[in-house]
Amino acid sequence: MLELDNVVLNYRSGKNSFEHGVHNVLNGVSLSLYKGETLGVIGKNGCGKTTILRLMAGIFGPTAGTVRRRANTSAALLTIGLGFKPQLSGRSNALLSAMLQGSTRAEAESCLEEIKAFSELGDGFEEPVKTYSSGMRSRLGFTTALMTRVDILMIDEVLAVGDAQFRAKAEAALKERITGEQTVVFVSHQGPQVQSICDRAIWLDQGKIAAEGDAESVLKQYTASIKLGPK
Amino acid sequence: MTLSQYYALIDVQARMALKSDASRYYFGYLWWVLEPLLYVGVFYVVFNVILDSRRSDFLIFLVCGKLPFVWFSKSVSQASSSIIANVGLIGKIDVTKTLFPMAVIQEGLYKQAVVFLLLFAILLFTGYMPTMAWFWLIPIMLVNYIMIVACSYVGAVLVCYMRDFTIFIGLGMIFLMFTSGIFWDLRALEPAMAEAVLLYNPMALILDSYRQVLMQNAAPDLVHLAWVGALFGGLTIIMVKLMRFLSKSLALKALTA
Repeated sequence: MLELDNVVLNYRSGKNSFEHGVHNVLNGVSLSLYKGETLGVIGKNGCGKTTILRLMAGIFGPTAGTVRRRANTSAALLTIGLGFKPQLSGRSNALLSAMLQGSTRAEAESCLEEIKAFSELGDGFEEPVKTYSSGMRSRLGFTTALMTRVDILMIDEVLAVGDAQFRAKAEAALKERITGEQTVVFVSHQGPQVQSICDRAIWLDQGKIAAEGDAESVLKQYTASIKLGPK
Repeated sequence: MTLSQYYALIDVQARMALKSDASRYYFGYLWWVLEPLLYVGVFYVVFNVILDSRRSDFLIFLVCGKLPFVWFSKSVSQASSSIIANVGLIGKIDVTKTLFPMAVIQEGLYKQAVVFLLLFAILLFTGYMPTMAWFWLIPIMLVNYIMIVACSYVGAVLVCYMRDFTIFIGLGMIFLMFTSGIFWDLRALEPAMAEAVLLYNPMALILDSYRQVLMQNAAPDLVHLAWVGALFGGLTIIMVKLMRFLSKSLALKALTA
């Protein structure tokens, strides 16, 4: 349902002057995403994982190459740090997220109580998000994305934070959703999580795909490279 | 995204912003009227008490110009930073970028509705009774609004590509404030100069039109007003198309610059 063909992405960032301010984030990446599958993306920090998600979600356009997405497929990215308006309450943010993903106001409001219950935020749900800990943010973000219906769900390191109890619950909920029709792209640098959730995985290194295939073998290569140290 | 969804999103963002703003300040919603009154107060002290304006109706003259101008300047300045202020949402989902300036404009619109009521109250209180001529306010406000939308879109795109534009926009607003005849009367200028100001500064025309209607019960220069409306309406359409075309590039700039 989604295809990346030889995608290159670079950008100029203000005054940073390496390579005259041009960052090469992705350098000729090709991959396909099939309906209903869960694709894992692993790699070191700064290797372009989040960028590739944003390209897939149609947030960024490629500098070169093509991104083909089946018409009328919605996609949303789930991240910890970004994505909230800090001065608004958890409830307002959840409402806004759901509406941005295409729900009507009434639909969005109808799932708010469910979001409040699942996230276990309690009274915190009515407080501004700026008062939240990172764990609370990830609870809210994860739950909001889980409750709203998007065709492709992109999950960026979200399960990495939060306490063990919530993480287990979130993983269970995610697995339940994955077994259905949901297409998921899952970014993590936690190997076991990728292995337990994903059907297939890619390993990104320096803006290129270093390995691709079933999750287990890709992970093996990735962990081997870490043990060997930097090339 | 359907038009009704688009509107619902603008509306809900505007209401949330108003609510969270009000909860942050001790005087809360009272600021909606307090702030414009303080603006008018400052100008009144400077231009009528310290520098004698030699106008007995200076207060009315001032509010008819200052209150609509503040609507424009605050909306445009704030909307110009709206795309970069929403990087969080922009990095999460592919949305129409006009949504963010529009939410700010909608927020300003709700506040301005109250400010216009305040303006009418001041007029009634000082003996300016409403007449049929006040219906001319509808096209004037509409053109005023279209100007806000067009300039906000331009500002939001410029600031997204180069943050430095916020400084220019701030400076531009000060320049506009001095050249639009807020505390001086356009009609007291040499006719040639008045014509030049009206020709090159649409804001001066808008403010003069408000005064014509509210203080003189006269119709504004409708042809000129229609031209300004069409010009900024056209600019709005171009900007909507441009922002749709640049959508992904704006997202990249907002997130990485």
